Amino acid sequence: METNQEANDSRWVEERLSTLNADAEWNPSASDGLARLREGCERHRRRHRKWGVALMLVAASSISVAAFPVTRAFAGRCITACVEETSRLFGPAHTAAKLEVGATAPDFTLTDASGQMVRLSDLRGKPVLLNFWATWCPPCRIEIPWFMEFQRTYGAQGLVVLGVSFDEDGWQSVKPFVESQRVNYRMVVGNDELARMYGGLDALPTTLLIDPQGKIVSIHAGLAGKDTYASEIQALLAGHPTAR
Amino acid sequence: VYAQNEAAAAMSGGKPPFELEAVFCAQYDRIARVIAKVVRNHARAEELAVEVFLKLWRNRQAQGEKTEGWLYRTAVRTALNELRAESRRNRYERLLGRSRATPTPEEIRATTEEQERVRAVLRDMEARQAELVLLRSQGLSYDELASALDLNLASVGTLLSRAHQAFRKEYMKRYGNQSGSE
Repeated sequence: METNQEANDSRWVEERLSTLNADAEWNPSASDGLARLREGCERHRRRHRKWGVALMLVAASSISVAAFPVTRAFAGRCITACVEETSRLFGPAHTAAKLEVGATAPDFTLTDASGQMVRLSDLRGKPVLLNFWATWCPPCRIEIPWFMEFQRTYGAQGLVVLGVSFDEDGWQSVKPFVESQRVNYRMVVGNDELARMYGGLDALPTTLLIDPQGKIVSIHAGLAGKDTYASEIQALLAGHPTAR
Repeated sequence: VYAQNEAAAAMSGGKPPFELEAVFCAQYDRIARVIAKVVRNHARAEELAVEVFLKLWRNRQAQGEKTEGWLYRTAVRTALNELRAESRRNRYERLLGRSRATPTPEEIRATTEEQERVRAVLRDMEARQAELVLLRSQGLSYDELASALDLNLASVGTLLSRAHQAFRKEYMKRYGNQSGSE
């Protein structure tokens, strides 16, 4: 039901639009169009075939990698390395391993000031006092003379004191400090990986006592009393007589 | 070996399926003419018409009963897109201080002032309304319009008259009451 106005509009618009009719002399060439259409279809198919070949190549190479134990192992190792690296890079700090009394102290290998390798698991059989510290940390500096004394007093009974510094510039700060204080126990410089293994080490100093079997006996985050350490060391030495 | 296979495939399957060619032969002329209403360059209109059929070939859902409506809809959309793209190109070229591509003698002969006005209005109208106006002017019935544009048949009349009104309003706004003469 069109009103007059609507009908009027429609007629008027149709008139305007009719001027667009293509001129009568022009005839779209169907044969040219058909040739172009075939060409287009063929181009499309070729592109599809290319993708098919690429997929087949990918499949073939994965099969050949999986076919031999050596290549399979290599690929597996690559994938594991990628996964580990990714989780290390993107894993937040709190995904750090949890540190617990009774757990085996995570093993690590670092070099001391003289370039000698220090491996924690090489110290099995002896009780170990493991101290994480840094030169810029005043409470850490308070503890160091105590540990030197422990090393002197209990060293003969097997106690090993091991200091791990977390100074960002490493030996540059640690070496002069160790020399000026005449630190009498072994010292190494730690890294992020080690901090992660030991629960992130949010507090410095952190000091662990490790029994001769490599198990963590106590954990002190922050400054603890000298007597506390001394009594724990004595208990450890009494309960677990040193080998050798 | 692969090259041989490819050659064999090209020989056996190089031609598009028969159905497509049949549809093409039946509809190509009409589709090219719809596009040529909007795109003034005839060679370009033919190119775009072939592209519409290639799209049909790739789109399985469009193949079947509704093919004709689909072809019309795709043709007007393609044409209007080309019109808008062309106007954008011209604007940028003007902005960059380059003169726009010189029209061919054919274009000069074929294009009248009135045609340019109608195209400008179609270009700037709401796309859906422009499609409706164009397809109606191509002689499609309400039924065919409903099928081509996926509309409810009952509302085609209303939508069409609104589209006509919108066209007239836009035209008047731009050019006043001076309907051009050929």
